[in-house]
Amino acid sequence: MQASAPSGILAGMTRYVTDDIIYALATAWAQSALAVIRISGEGCLKALSPCFSRPKALVEAQNATTVHGYIRTEAGENIDEVVASVWTDGHGYTLEESVELSCHGSLSVIKEILGLLGRLGMRSAEGGEFTFRAFLHGRLDLTQAEAVQELVSSQSKTARALALGRLEGSLKNQIADFKQRLLTITASVEVQLDYAEDELDEFVFPREQLETLRKDIAVLADTYQVGRLYREGARIVLAGSTNAGKSSLFNLLLKQERSIVSPVKGTTRDYIEADLSIEGIPIRLYDTAGLREGSDAIESEGIRRTERLMGQADLVIYLVDSTDVSHIPSEDERTIVVYNKSDLVRPPKGRLAISAQTGEGVTTLLSAITERLTGGSHASGDDLVVIESERQSRLLTDAGNALERASALVTLDIPLDIIAVELSEALQNLGELTGEVTPSDILETIFSGFCVGK
Amino acid sequence: MDYDAIVVGGGHAGIEASLALSRIGFKTLLITQNLDSIGRLSCNPAIGGLSKGNLVREVDALGGEMAHLIDHSMIQYRILNRRRGPAVQAPRAQADKFTYARLAKETLEAQPNLALFMDTVVDLVLDKEGKKLVGVVTQRRHTITCRVLVLTTGTFMEGRIFIGEYDAPNGRLDESAAIGLGTALRSKGFPVGRLKTGTPARVRKSSLDFSKMELQDGEEIMMPFSFDYDSIDRPMLPCHITWTNERTHEIIRANIHRSPLYGGKIVGKGPRYCPSIEDKVVRFPDRERHQIFVEPEGEGTEEMYLNGISSSLPEDVQWDFIHSIEGLEDAQIMRPAYAVEYDFIDPQALYPSLESKLVENLFIAGQTNGTSGYEEAACQGLMAGINAAQKLKGEKPLVLSRNEAYTGVLIDDLVTMGTQEPYRMFTSRAEYRLNLRHDSCDQRLTQKGYAVGLQKQENLERLQAKLEKMETVKELLAKRRMGEKSALQTLKMPEITIADLEAQMPELSSFEQPILYQVELDVKYEGYINRQERQINRFEKLESLVIDALMDYDAVEGLSAEGREKLKKIRPLSVGQASRINGVRNSDIAVLILHLDRGGRHGK
Repeated sequence: MQASAPSGILAGMTRYVTDDIIYALATAWAQSALAVIRISGEGCLKALSPCFSRPKALVEAQNATTVHGYIRTEAGENIDEVVASVWTDGHGYTLEESVELSCHGSLSVIKEILGLLGRLGMRSAEGGEFTFRAFLHGRLDLTQAEAVQELVSSQSKTARALALGRLEGSLKNQIADFKQRLLTITASVEVQLDYAEDELDEFVFPREQLETLRKDIAVLADTYQVGRLYREGARIVLAGSTNAGKSSLFNLLLKQERSIVSPVKGTTRDYIEADLSIEGIPIRLYDTAGLREGSDAIESEGIRRTERLMGQADLVIYLVDSTDVSHIPSEDERTIVVYNKSDLVRPPKGRLAISAQTGEGVTTLLSAITERLTGGSHASGDDLVVIESERQSRLLTDAGNALERASALVTLDIPLDIIAVELSEALQNLGELTGEVTPSDILETIFSGFCVGK
Repeated sequence: MDYDAIVVGGGHAGIEASLALSRIGFKTLLITQNLDSIGRLSCNPAIGGLSKGNLVREVDALGGEMAHLIDHSMIQYRILNRRRGPAVQAPRAQADKFTYARLAKETLEAQPNLALFMDTVVDLVLDKEGKKLVGVVTQRRHTITCRVLVLTTGTFMEGRIFIGEYDAPNGRLDESAAIGLGTALRSKGFPVGRLKTGTPARVRKSSLDFSKMELQDGEEIMMPFSFDYDSIDRPMLPCHITWTNERTHEIIRANIHRSPLYGGKIVGKGPRYCPSIEDKVVRFPDRERHQIFVEPEGEGTEEMYLNGISSSLPEDVQWDFIHSIEGLEDAQIMRPAYAVEYDFIDPQALYPSLESKLVENLFIAGQTNGTSGYEEAACQGLMAGINAAQKLKGEKPLVLSRNEAYTGVLIDDLVTMGTQEPYRMFTSRAEYRLNLRHDSCDQRLTQKGYAVGLQKQENLERLQAKLEKMETVKELLAKRRMGEKSALQTLKMPEITIADLEAQMPELSSFEQPILYQVELDVKYEGYINRQERQINRFEKLESLVIDALMDYDAVEGLSAEGREKLKKIRPLSVGQASRINGVRNSDIAVLILHLDRGGRHGK
């Protein structure tokens, strides 16, 4: 077979060949007790064996068995003690010869093992590539893998990883409903383009239907942030000057919430972190070193870390000492300014105030946090449909934007052929979520709903 | 070998196919059942319309004949959908059907290299293996050999007409069907099916009361469909509009059981977009009236075409319901309305070149492929003729893409998806219609017509001159200041037209209106055209992934069972085409891309 030079689509997936060995960290890239590194591809056991303390046991292992041993550098130094789960050809997730290494979850260990695998001639997997192989070898039902085309052609690594997120029933129905409504609007426009003006009744653009649809789509698209929040949680950083009472608030919040997971001691003196849950949202809370011009080297290093943490946070709670209001930071969408020590000095009116000492105002603070993180929408009811993947959210947002442009064009009295371009773009976006919309679908809608033809 | 090429049929597809082959230089024979019915407008005496007008101009840009024929036979000209945007406007003309057919025959007769012969083809002659076409057998037992054949049988292959309880083996009213060919093709394994279409009654002009109808005039200035000249001068006749009423509908409802469509006599599927009046009455019971266009069939005839009320009801019912209509109370019915059912061959059995997948050197075009309409037939006839010629020359077929011509959309739809009803071109079938405007067909296609040896050098030069003029106008607009902006930027504003600018820039007046119009559209819609370009780039990526026609799909791991079956049947020539096949999933496409990529990399 001849194929032309790699085009954009191919360029995106030229590495998606299946005759080499790929590896990837299967657990989160984070400090943890255990981590799993997955390796797949014909000959991977043999390739790994020179750096495994029991090469023979590894290579000869039966399917679905484990081999205990040490991963070593090429020079023979032990990197970590691991358990290797072995899958022979035709088994396991990818149905290829594969091995999963359970190792200790220290970042330095993970890094070192991954580096070693690379040097052994294996290739770091692209996002979704294990799934792609699983699909190719028939491990996945093809109907589950309809998203593979998207997976193949999507540009970003994340989009690729998320492409396979299947649509759940209620969400699927909701999007199908949007698509049907949009199809009706589109057909009413397209019929005007297919037949001459004197063959049809007077046309009025279905403005209201378009507007309602646009709003409904926007509402669904917005649930993505909320959905992600409840699934992935948020990072909240307590910041403020040294004496603002951050540690008191930290302890208070941990006490307030019963679902304390684990207060973890920070490895350095710069910050302490703890996991808790605020109104159902998983939160990682950081108590940072005070923001003060550090005089000694260690302290200023701590401040740098604090600033970095704040930069990565979903929300910064900036605590101000009501008795010393010399520096008041500005509030933005990622920052809440809270006046502490309300029991000592009355803070400015209308500002969020607490007393970490007495516990006054903490309930208000908790709702403020939830409100800020969810953008005001509460994902509590069981009936609420929430968008789960970035891809779904992007496609819905794009569809909504196209409809908004269409609406603006109608206002400007721009000819229908141009408006139709926007409608078709919106349809394409919805089509990518639930299956393509073809010109024949539009014609079907026209023929079933309009009396046309001379 | 008697001829290089034989074309079967003298309709709109056959005309284009035989002219293309003989003009490119091949010794060609056109066989028709009746020399007197070459180029007939069997139904509506009009050419063009939305997206169909574009087809006519595409045929012209490639070097075909249809535009010349209508330009010199039109009796009314209109631009449809002016207000709905430039991408969906199209010209439509009423034709003098006698002049049209006479010009068609004269053109064929004047063509060197082209022989005409009256007989009926009843079978194809294949080589020993049954894989290659070598000639035809006619009703009068002639065997004529050729290297390539273009089959354009229209509604004649095993055709049968229906008027109420009456039916007869005709392709048109009282014109014999071609009996035997359909049966012969079935026995050779061709996927032959039945389709149905219909035509309304013709009534006598002097018996109508036009004072009770609405007058519909054409444009004041007629514009040619062809790009070869700038103006035409033809007589103009008006059309009229009247409506059915409750009484009409009552008559139809009371007699619906006498329609062969509802009685089950007709098995072929008819076009939903062009329903008979009984269909309209049954399907839309709430409508109080349906529109009828009363169109002249020519200058020298009294026959008037009743556009909108095609029917297969018995003649006494037709008599009653026609006379219930305002202005038609005393109408003299000259020809009755009738339905016609005929054989077509599933176009999925064709390559995009319109060559058969079953038998080499056999090309098929027009209604035989399940389409409907003169323009649809003409563009296929032209492409089949061009590709038959390419085959004779040993060169690659000319396949137009969905983003360069409605012709490309039409053929791709046919060979990829087939059709369940007579296929008509629609604007909404095209994804990239901002690029498919009728006024710019020459820019997309003239060069291609020239490359295959059909289009004339002088037309290529004409196109060059047009492009240069457009460039000059754009430069003039860019240089001219209008307040803060240039005239070019001013033209981008929705409310400003080039006519407004012309008032301030008299130097523009020396350019022809079509030039100014095109510049206006190019400038105004630049943003959208660019956006469409980006969509096209994505589209072309998949189109450019070529698949061999002989691809072994059984060897491709991971295809779904249905996808594999469909791919084996359609044998798409690109991944893009494969992605449009019904039943081929996205996952199949992913597997296919991967397979092709591996093949490319490892030289499999």
